[in-house]
Amino acid sequence: MRATMRRNFALVVVLGCLGLTAGFAQVEKPSDLKYPALKYEPPDPKACRTSFANGLRGYVQEDHSLPVVNLSATINYGHPYDSKDKVGLGQLLGATLIKGGTKSKPGNVIEERIDFLGGSLNFTVSERTFTPSTVNDRTSTLSLFVLSKDLDEGLGLFFDVLMNPEFREDPFKLARARLIEGLRQANDQPSTVLTREYERLLYGDGPLTWEPTRKSYDGLTAADLKAVHARFFYPKNIILAAAGDFSKADLVKKVNKIIGPWENGKAVIPAFAKTFPEVEPGVYFIQKKINQGYISLGHLGIEDTNPDYYAVQVMNFILGGGSFTSRITTKVRSDEGLAYNTGSRFSYRWGFPGTLSGYVQTKSATVGYAISLILKEFERIRQEPVSDGELATAVDYYLESFSDSFSSPMTTMGNFAALDMQGKPMDYYKTYRDKIRLVTKDRVLEVAKKYLHPEKAAILIVGDWEPCNKGGDQFPGPLDKLGQVHRISLRDPMTGEDIKAQ
Amino acid sequence: MKRAFVGLFIVLAFLSSALAAEVSLDVKEHVLANGMKILMIQKPGVPRVVCHIYFKVGSINERPGITGIAHVHEHMMFKGTKMLGVTDYEADAAIDREIDGLMDQIYRERFWKADGGDKVKIAQWQKRVDELVASEKKYIIKDELWELYMKNGGTGLNASTSNETTGYYVTLPSNKVELQMLLESDRMINAYFREFYSEKDVVMEERRLSENRPGSLFDEQVTAAFYAASPYHWDVIGWMDDLRKFTKQDMIDFHNRYYVPNNAVAIYVGDFNPETIIAQAEKYFGRIPKGPDLEPIRTSEPPQHSEKRIYGEGPGPTRLQLMFHIPPDGNPDNPALQVLAGVLGSGGGFGFGMRGGGGGGTGRLNKVLVEEKQVAVNASASSRAQWYVGAFQFSATPRLDKKVRPEDLEKEVWAMIDDIKKNGVTENEIQMAKNKRESMFLRSLQSPMGLASSVGRAELNRGWRAMLTDIQDIKKITNDDIKRVAARYFVKDNSLAAIYTRQRGE
Repeated sequence: MRATMRRNFALVVVLGCLGLTAGFAQVEKPSDLKYPALKYEPPDPKACRTSFANGLRGYVQEDHSLPVVNLSATINYGHPYDSKDKVGLGQLLGATLIKGGTKSKPGNVIEERIDFLGGSLNFTVSERTFTPSTVNDRTSTLSLFVLSKDLDEGLGLFFDVLMNPEFREDPFKLARARLIEGLRQANDQPSTVLTREYERLLYGDGPLTWEPTRKSYDGLTAADLKAVHARFFYPKNIILAAAGDFSKADLVKKVNKIIGPWENGKAVIPAFAKTFPEVEPGVYFIQKKINQGYISLGHLGIEDTNPDYYAVQVMNFILGGGSFTSRITTKVRSDEGLAYNTGSRFSYRWGFPGTLSGYVQTKSATVGYAISLILKEFERIRQEPVSDGELATAVDYYLESFSDSFSSPMTTMGNFAALDMQGKPMDYYKTYRDKIRLVTKDRVLEVAKKYLHPEKAAILIVGDWEPCNKGGDQFPGPLDKLGQVHRISLRDPMTGEDIKAQ
Repeated sequence: MKRAFVGLFIVLAFLSSALAAEVSLDVKEHVLANGMKILMIQKPGVPRVVCHIYFKVGSINERPGITGIAHVHEHMMFKGTKMLGVTDYEADAAIDREIDGLMDQIYRERFWKADGGDKVKIAQWQKRVDELVASEKKYIIKDELWELYMKNGGTGLNASTSNETTGYYVTLPSNKVELQMLLESDRMINAYFREFYSEKDVVMEERRLSENRPGSLFDEQVTAAFYAASPYHWDVIGWMDDLRKFTKQDMIDFHNRYYVPNNAVAIYVGDFNPETIIAQAEKYFGRIPKGPDLEPIRTSEPPQHSEKRIYGEGPGPTRLQLMFHIPPDGNPDNPALQVLAGVLGSGGGFGFGMRGGGGGGTGRLNKVLVEEKQVAVNASASSRAQWYVGAFQFSATPRLDKKVRPEDLEKEVWAMIDDIKKNGVTENEIQMAKNKRESMFLRSLQSPMGLASSVGRAELNRGWRAMLTDIQDIKKITNDDIKRVAARYFVKDNSLAAIYTRQRGE
């Protein structure tokens, strides 16, 4: 087992001088510590890439450390592929692919059998954000966990669900009714409202931001689910990832036997706009009777295929992405005690630009002050070079924590499947550290100027208007000091209509 | 220096179970002379080591007046020490002494006097405090510990406080574990509590954040009503009043009492040489003097003697919780209660940290209430055996579109309970719950971080080997056991029903 693992992972670890069990020099400070050398080379995707029948591909790694198997299928289909008259189809597919049963078995029989085996079978249709390690933007994933002794039965159920879902009437109707009931909670959490409305603000009205309503759910049928399944669920539109206690050759043989009759389709993957209408800068306010303001402020960002991605990552680490080592967290949380949670983030999306946001949740009276501090940090990193120490910390973090991306065989296989799905270069991980090493202070300044535009920021606040607008000693209101204030109405999630004019 | 360590290789044979798998949990143990325990689990491969340290201290070690202090203390541990986060310790300490003196006067004026004290005096003192805080800044190196970990490739960097334990986490490259030993031992012996007053503000923001989660204030009241006497009565975050009023001296006393090596366990999971870990642990953690022995919590929950009911409304989803007191972790009735929770709420993962339950497809609650009768949007059960007290909980959300009320669901749950008391459950249900429990254990061994967390915490209570014997105990459970525990614990006088209704217009 270990030999196999090392061969496939091309793992070279040199731990020098680790036999130090006696005679330590007295260490008083962290700077006195001397670390043995450690060299690490990431595993090679080519060694794990596996071809199955009918053009199905996957990334497969034997791992015999425990008698278990993990398997997932990532399908190039996500919510934003649904047309305007079918909004909610993704959610409904997520809720019924397994529960709706297959041609030969009702859903509850499948679920009970998996449960009896102590396994799990889950299906999710993605939400709209993702990190580079997960394809979570416009894909769906079916994932299986079984004990290795149950592999054959697990594979049978897994592919039956993937290939032959039936969307039987009773479970379909129940799932739809539960989804409609779930809509009632759409405006409960301030953080959910903030995330959803920030996206709507920056991306406008379109496939990325349409939300299902009672009416849109009521309009969906089992035939719609069958159609979407037929359109996207075929071998060449799916990538497998598998790791566990099996023989790779056996697994391929078993899978090929099951998927023999599975025909390919020709899905037309919808094209996504890469540009979006500009948002008028200023304050956007959503009323909610709570004791803090929840804030996101910023504008659209970049794609992670942009050559500036690495410099942007380092810049954002220093600005507000590096937790307590970042400027925004230090200023807003540590110095001022204004917030528990604050910083900045670039989110990345597959095929179109992500967003840049500064974020904070703070008590109503300090909403304006906290926003002004974040905007100042946006401005400062655009005006002056970062320090040598800040750059070194950020670069070292990315270099030294790199091997975390391969913390388990299944994580590694999932990462490779994600690269493949998005059509990214398969040497992404191999070249990653070199690209981070090339980032300089000048490059950080350059990308800060290029991609941070505080003057264009949309400042979205979910909170209680009166105390937020009144402000406090350090930043007395009104909030229009930060830009023109636009009041936004919340929608009734059942109908999609404005709840009331504000 | 002790070179020998206790090597334990426990093989679990699931001979009679459906799994028929052999699982090993290879934990190496080493105990320092000061009582601190070092646990090691080797997982060769990727050159990283999960480094966690757990203390046997949490909100149950607090008392009225200092609720929330265990969690604020966890925050304070990131604010530097006598060695770290400061350029000139003596100069900084001199300013801090003056700040503490003034804050003491302010607290006495503001909190000891019924009318809130002399506002003018308070403002004067506060102005001087603000000046001192500003003058202190030149000596402070912000978040130096965090930065040191980050620039050395630390990930999973965090800490958490629960009712019973507090943990400090980092995952480092294999060649840098010594950094964790240095920094963690430093904050045990050189804790300093810099910027204490502004950090309390941060924690009050954290509390406000949780208050904004719909239903959370109701849940806090439910917990307080359910646990009348034991220190599980208050949440980990603490009461706002206490957060405002406890003092730096309270914090120092708390630290000195609980942050001692004989109250701690360090655990390492990953690619390392155990002899190196032991030698480094001897060097860094071994230098800390042993503290006094710590007495367990005294106050358990007295019997309720009557049913409790609590109603509330607010901006969250309408729901029912039905709770019953059960015995603490390690009691022989708990395995049966766990299997029962698995039967009732099984599916979609065993869930709730292997306490049994969950809300998924194949559990009896879901099958009957969600799928057959279609009166609930979801329904689940969990069995939570804590260190000193326990709770078995049913939760369900009614189908409002069908005009179902939480009280209707309560009747349904009681009907199901009565049926189980009389007829038990099916053999198939029991076997399924057992299989899931066993495979969840296997599953948990896959993640180095999860492994560190479950083994480390288990060690603090009944020892990590209990994880293995618990599984054996689960396998012995029969239908008679299920009927017996249902009859014993699911009675009105031992229950609390909590009904929360969404406010109209919200």
